Amino acid sequence: MGFVVIAMVLSVFGARLVQLQGVDPNSYAAMAAAEGLVEVDLPAERGDILDRNGKALADSVDGLMIVADPLMTAEKAPEIARFLYRELDVDYAATLNRLREEGSRYEYIARRVPATQANAVIAAAEKLKFKGLYTQHDPLRDYPVGDVAANLVGFLGTDEPLAGLERTFDDQLSGTDGSARYEVGAGKKIPLGENTVTDPVDGQDLQTTIDLDLQWYTQRVLRQTVQQWGADSGLAVVMDSQTGELLALADHPTFDANHPTESPKADLGSRAMQDVYEPGSVEKVLTLSSLIDLGLVTPRTQIVVPPSLQREDSPIGDWFDHGTIRLTLAGVLAKSSNIGTVLAADHFKSGQLHEYLTRFGLGQRTAIGVRGETEGLLPAAGVWTHQQQDRIAFGQSLSVNGVQMAAAINTIANGGVRVSPSLIMGSVTTDEGDVVGTDTTTERRVISEDAARQTALMMERVVDEKVGVAPGAAVPGYRVAGKTGTAQAVGADCACYDGTFDVSFAGFAPADDPRFTVYVVVKNPDTGGGGSVAGPAFSKIMSYTLKRYAVPPTGTRPSRLPVEW
Amino acid sequence: MSSPAPQRWNRVPRIAEVAVERARLTVVPRRRTRAARMPFVALVSLVLVGGVVGLLLFNTSMQQASFAATALEGQSTTLAAREQMLEMELDELRDPQRIAGAAQRLGMVQACAPAFIKLGSNEVVGQPCAAVASAFPIWPAEPKLPADLNPPPNVVEVTADPVVESGVSDDTADGATGNRARDGKKNQQQHQSQNSQR
Repeated sequence: MGFVVIAMVLSVFGARLVQLQGVDPNSYAAMAAAEGLVEVDLPAERGDILDRNGKALADSVDGLMIVADPLMTAEKAPEIARFLYRELDVDYAATLNRLREEGSRYEYIARRVPATQANAVIAAAEKLKFKGLYTQHDPLRDYPVGDVAANLVGFLGTDEPLAGLERTFDDQLSGTDGSARYEVGAGKKIPLGENTVTDPVDGQDLQTTIDLDLQWYTQRVLRQTVQQWGADSGLAVVMDSQTGELLALADHPTFDANHPTESPKADLGSRAMQDVYEPGSVEKVLTLSSLIDLGLVTPRTQIVVPPSLQREDSPIGDWFDHGTIRLTLAGVLAKSSNIGTVLAADHFKSGQLHEYLTRFGLGQRTAIGVRGETEGLLPAAGVWTHQQQDRIAFGQSLSVNGVQMAAAINTIANGGVRVSPSLIMGSVTTDEGDVVGTDTTTERRVISEDAARQTALMMERVVDEKVGVAPGAAVPGYRVAGKTGTAQAVGADCACYDGTFDVSFAGFAPADDPRFTVYVVVKNPDTGGGGSVAGPAFSKIMSYTLKRYAVPPTGTRPSRLPVEW
Repeated sequence: MSSPAPQRWNRVPRIAEVAVERARLTVVPRRRTRAARMPFVALVSLVLVGGVVGLLLFNTSMQQASFAATALEGQSTTLAAREQMLEMELDELRDPQRIAGAAQRLGMVQACAPAFIKLGSNEVVGQPCAAVASAFPIWPAEPKLPADLNPPPNVVEVTADPVVESGVSDDTADGATGNRARDGKKNQQQHQSQNSQR
């Protein structure tokens, strides 16, 4: 009797065994594994974007998103919504709707909340017995300085970088996510259970040559200038004369990198690199220094400047009315005479000016790592007419971008050697495969050291109180060499000069031992020229830069080149 | 082996007594020693129990270590997040905009061009000058409202009682511009001129 009972029980067990092991063992094994197996992503931390001193322009913070399960939150939705509004400053009405969303089990409440804050909120919610709120990983990108260098740094969209250095160097910055698989019991890892970890590879930092404080000051001076003169936009470049490193590259209007969608799309890029404009009289520096390098003229070359100059079918005039005046070459530059420059440029043989301008870097990208850089527009040598050469000699009929022109002027500051500008420390590869950075800096001699020195002496006369056109650009106590520019601008709609002007000032200091080159361009101010609009901005930025880097005045006597004869 | 038995034969010595004596072999009495069972059983049980308990303890300690590891990992994550948060706050405190704002509130102004004293010769290089208080606008002008939100004032000319009506609409127009211009008169004038151009 007993045996029968035992046999029956055992056969029931046996049947169950066959069912479990024989019919579909794999699905049961999978179910068992799924019960305790956890798979988590280990996100890589995105590299920071730093200034030259290691201060952050963009940094990554561990962030969480707060997600609600409406099935559980609907009951206490108003209370939870009020709580979340207080803690996270989310919109009350929208949150309330999400918490009550029917048929949904997953609703975003807040995204990119710093982890510390999110955890505190969830802990507080649990204490208040609110159910159905939980967190998920959601990395947070912070731009602690807001609009400072935003045009260069760019910003991240929801899932991917959308602009600027963030996008160009995404490969380096983003790193590689890892993952972990392990078994858990009661929320704890089971020792000796399955456990595989692939460590994440964090992104690498990107260090720029930008000096954060100087960049900030430059942007504020630029904004003040643009707004004071009712201009459309402006750009400013501060460059280390010897190394070509860009200490500041400012654009206005700009945007807050933390809230890029609040600004017009047109302001999100770098106008200094992406827009072309005609440089105007600043370019005369390049023309005249080339002439001196060829030995065709000297700063004391005497030129008779008529009131107007008829060239073929069109007259060339100066910005100021004058009778026939007698200027030296230094005077032509100091007073920014178009006619004098054209007369001097007549000494060029065909093609020579084009060759010099090419060597100065016009018409070629600077390749500093900013997206969408324009190469400017230097007409090919073969198609130059006489009239075109005349206009190019004083800076019209050719287009440049801001950094290109700053680097060209910096050639004079650096003793006639053009040093290629750079924005990134070291060497990095862009998303287009180009290697950029300070390690790839190249130098090439454009004009002789003597020609550069002579040109600098002439440029000093520009800021002279008595003879120059831009005394407002002077920095008291320092020898400053510079040049104004007031150029007719080509309109956006018609391919013609539309009556607006771009005014600019480029210069370097100390003139006899240059350390910094500063270039300021203001587009379409209500009134004023290079000397009165861009000059004072130049002076402020240069003065601040010299102060910041503790550059003493050289204490030598300023240039006394005669301007008239 | 020298048991007391052979001594009985000592009394009568015989020939080859020693040899005979030697030849006489006796069977060693079988010694039936029974090993005590208890210690062995105790030992084995001890080993068994010890093993089981040890295994249990080992497992428990591993479990404990795992709990500790999980807790410490959590703590490390929290602390790392906190560090990042503090670093972010530090970066925000370092923001030149904030520092400039704080400096301006303290009444500090921009310095003019620097001058240097050469300590050896007491010579002054550069032009020393006193800093003067000048407005350096560090805050952006308030953004212009889009046209939808900023309709041109609707001025109604009423012949019957003109004083009251036009006075009211003038006030609102002024109020709107005044609110938006924060950077002083210049801006206000600009805004007004822009408004009038529109």
